[in-house]
Amino acid sequence: MRLAIAEDSGLFRSSLTMLLQASGVEVTASAASGPELLEAIGTGAPDAVIVDIRMPPTFTDEGINTAAELRRLYPHVGVLVLSTYAETSYASQLLETVHTGVGYLLKDNVTDARTLMDSLARVAAGETVIDPTIVRRLLERNRRPSKIDMLNDRERAVLGHMAEGRSNMGIAKDLFLSPRTVEAHVTSIFVKLGLDQAETDNNRVRAVLAFLRSAGAGSLCCAHLTGLI
Amino acid sequence: MRASSLLAPRPRTLGSEPEPEWRGYHFSLTAAITVAAGGFCALVQGPLWNTDTALAGANLAVSVLFVFTGLMLRREPGQHVVGWALVAAGVLRCLDFADAWNAAPCGIYVLIFGAADRLFGAWALLRYPNSSLLRYQRVYLVLLTCWMLGGRVLIAVTSLPQWDGDPASAWWPSLIPNPGLNEVINYVVNTGLGLFGAALLVLLVMRLLRTTTLDRIVITPIIVAGLAAVVAAVASAVVQTLSSLNGTPNNVYIVESAVDLAVPLAFFVAVIQRTLLLRNITALTAQISGGADIGAVRYALRSTLHDPTLELLDLSAPTPDTAGPADEADRLVEFIRTEEGTPIAVVIADPALGRYRGLFDAAVQTSGLALKNAQIQAQAAREKLEQVRASRVRILEAGLAERRRIERDLHDGVQQHLLGLAAQLTVAIAGTADEQARGALAQVSDGLREVLAELRDLAHGIHPAVLSQGGLAAALEDVAERLPLPVRVTAPATRVAAAVEATAYFVACEALANVVKHAHASSATVTVRVEESKLDLQIADDGVGGIDSRGHGLANITDRVNALDGELTIVSPPGLGTRVEVRIPCG
Repeated sequence: MRLAIAEDSGLFRSSLTMLLQASGVEVTASAASGPELLEAIGTGAPDAVIVDIRMPPTFTDEGINTAAELRRLYPHVGVLVLSTYAETSYASQLLETVHTGVGYLLKDNVTDARTLMDSLARVAAGETVIDPTIVRRLLERNRRPSKIDMLNDRERAVLGHMAEGRSNMGIAKDLFLSPRTVEAHVTSIFVKLGLDQAETDNNRVRAVLAFLRSAGAGSLCCAHLTGLI
Repeated sequence: MRASSLLAPRPRTLGSEPEPEWRGYHFSLTAAITVAAGGFCALVQGPLWNTDTALAGANLAVSVLFVFTGLMLRREPGQHVVGWALVAAGVLRCLDFADAWNAAPCGIYVLIFGAADRLFGAWALLRYPNSSLLRYQRVYLVLLTCWMLGGRVLIAVTSLPQWDGDPASAWWPSLIPNPGLNEVINYVVNTGLGLFGAALLVLLVMRLLRTTTLDRIVITPIIVAGLAAVVAAVASAVVQTLSSLNGTPNNVYIVESAVDLAVPLAFFVAVIQRTLLLRNITALTAQISGGADIGAVRYALRSTLHDPTLELLDLSAPTPDTAGPADEADRLVEFIRTEEGTPIAVVIADPALGRYRGLFDAAVQTSGLALKNAQIQAQAAREKLEQVRASRVRILEAGLAERRRIERDLHDGVQQHLLGLAAQLTVAIAGTADEQARGALAQVSDGLREVLAELRDLAHGIHPAVLSQGGLAAALEDVAERLPLPVRVTAPATRVAAAVEATAYFVACEALANVVKHAHASSATVTVRVEESKLDLQIADDGVGGIDSRGHGLANITDRVNALDGELTIVSPPGLGTRVEVRIPCG
C-alpha cells in the first residue's frame, strides 16, 4: 500500500512512518501541513492518506479541510483523519464533508497496528471508518429518542460494526452470524432508518451518519440529512 | 461659639466682626453710656432710695439692663433704631420716679410723661427684628402716643398739684381744676390705655404668628416677655386706678419692674441667639460634609434654617415635576454652582431668611460643598467599579487563555510525544521474537494507551478544543454525549466572545454534573439562545428539585457569570425539577 502522511508533530510523524513501514506500507510523501502534503503528492496519488486533524495554519480542524481538498483532487484515495479528540462532532463534521472512503481514528490506535492497518485498507477500499472508542461510547450511552431507537439490539450491534468500517463479511465473522443474516439486518436497518434501498453504498454512510447524529451534534446539521433524525 | 466660627464659613453680615480696635471702641462706648445712664438713673430717683430702696434698685436694674441691651442691639444690622429706643426706654424708666423729689417740675413731668418709656418699649417690641414698622403698627403707636400724652395733659389741666401728692406751691397747669371732671377724665384715659394695652397684646400675638423660620426662634422670647410686660403694666394701671392716687402700694411697682426686666433680657437673649445660630452651620457641616444626596442636604437645610418650605432642586438632572410654589418670585433664591459656574442645584427659601443672609449663605455654601463632594464621590465610585469590573473580566479572560495554552501545550507536547513513543513501542513489539518480552511490552503498550486516554480527558477538562473550534453548540453536544442520561441540546451555531462561550460552557457542565449527581432526573435539556447582545442559557431537568443554590459548586459559576455582568437564576422547587438560567451580555 502506498501512503502519504500530513502531520505537524515531527516526532509523531517519524514514529508513525516507522510503524507503517514496519507494517509493509510504502510512505510516498510526508508533510507538516495540508497544503505541503498536496504539493508533495503531486501526480503520484497514493492509495490512502493519513491526515492529522490539528495542523497549521489554524491549528483547529485543518485536517478536515485537507480531507475535503484531497477528496476533490483524488476521488478514489482513502482519507484517514487521525485525532486526539474523541468528540463525535469532529467525526460527524468529517463525514458530512467527505462521504466515502473516509475514516476518523484516534491516534491512540498506534498501539494497535492491526486496527490502524485495517482502517487504512477500508478507507482505501471506499468504506467509512469511525474509531471504535467513539462507536462504543455511542452504543453505551443513553441517547435522546431518535429513529435509531427502532432498531433492535442485534441491528444496533450491526450498525456499530458498520460505523467501525466493517464489511458484511467482517461483521458476520465478528458477531458469529451468517453473511446472509447480516445482510438481512443491514437491509432492515436501512428500512427502519428510511434509506433508499437502491443506493447501498451511500446508505452505509448515511446509516453511520444517522448513528453519529443520534448521539447529538444536532446543531451541525445538513439539510439533506435532517430527515434521518 | 468660638469653635463654630472657626469651622463654619464666615457669613457676610451676621458675623461681620469689626476690626479689633473697633470692637474695643464699641465696648468702651457701650460701657461709658451704660455707666452714664446708670448714674443718671440712680440720681434721678434721689429720695426714693431712702423711702423705698427696693423699688429704686429694681428701677435702676431695669433701666441699666434696657440701656445695655439697647446698646448691644444697635450694632445689629438694621436694628440701631430699636437699640436706641430701648436705651430711651431705659433712661425714661427711672425718670418716671423723679416725682420722689417733690420738686417743682418733677411732679407735672411724671404726670404727663410718666409712661413715655412704655411707648418706646412698644415701638421696640413691634419692630424688632424688622427694618421698619407695618402701617397699622405705626398707626397704633401714633394713636397710643396721642391718647397717652393728650389724656394726661387733660388730667393735668383739670387737677391741682396736691391731688397728685405734690406740694400746692408746685407749678401746675391747672386751667379748670374740677375734682369730678378730673375723675371722669382719669377714668376714661386709663380705661383707654387699658384697651391700648389689650390691643398691643393682640398685635404682639399677630407678630408671633406671622413670623417664620429663624425669625420665630429669635422673636418668641421677646414677644413672650412683651406680653408679660403689657399684662403687668395693665394690671399695675388697674391697681393705680382702683386705689387712690396717693395710696398705690410701691410693691405694685416692684412687681411691674421685675416683669419688665424680662423685656431687655429677652432682647438680650435674642441678640445672643442670632449669634448662636451660626452654631447651626457647624451642625450642618457635620451632618452633610461627608457628601450627601440631594434629599439629605434638603432635609439638613430645612432643619438648620428652620424653614420647612425650603426647596432644594437638583439642576444636574432635569426634574420637570417640581415647579415650585406659585409665589416663587417673592422667595429667596440662591444657586449652587460648580467651580466653572454651572449651576448644579438651586435653593428656594422663605424670604424671612434674607434677614439672616450670612447664615443662609453659609448654609448654602456648605450644602454646595456637600453636593459637590457627593458628585465627586459618586464619580470616583463609578470609576472604581468600572475598574473592578474590567479587571474581573481581564482575570477571567487571562484564566481562559491560560487554560487554552495548557491544553495546547498538552496536545502538542506531551500527547504527541507519548503517541510517538507508543508508535515506536508498537514497532518494537512487532519486531520482538521473544514471546515473554512481547507480553511485557504489550502490557506497557496497554498502560500507555490508558495514560493517553487519561491525558485526553485531562486536556478536555482543562479546555475542550471543540469549544474553541466548533463553538458552544458542538461543545455542549459533546458534553451531553458523555452523560448517562438523555440530554437534548438546542443551540445555534452562532459564535460569541470566547469568554462568554467558555463561561456558558462551564456553567452548563457544572449544572449538568449536578443533574447527574443530585437530581435523579430521567432527562435534561440545555437551551442556548443568542439574541441581540445577550446570550441566554437554560439547563433544566425533570428531577427531584430542591437544590440549594449556594452549594454544589454553583457559587463558583455564579462568580464567573457575575464577572461578565451576567445574571444567574436557579429555580428548584422540591419535586418539580431544577432550572438554571443564565443571561450574559455579549455585545
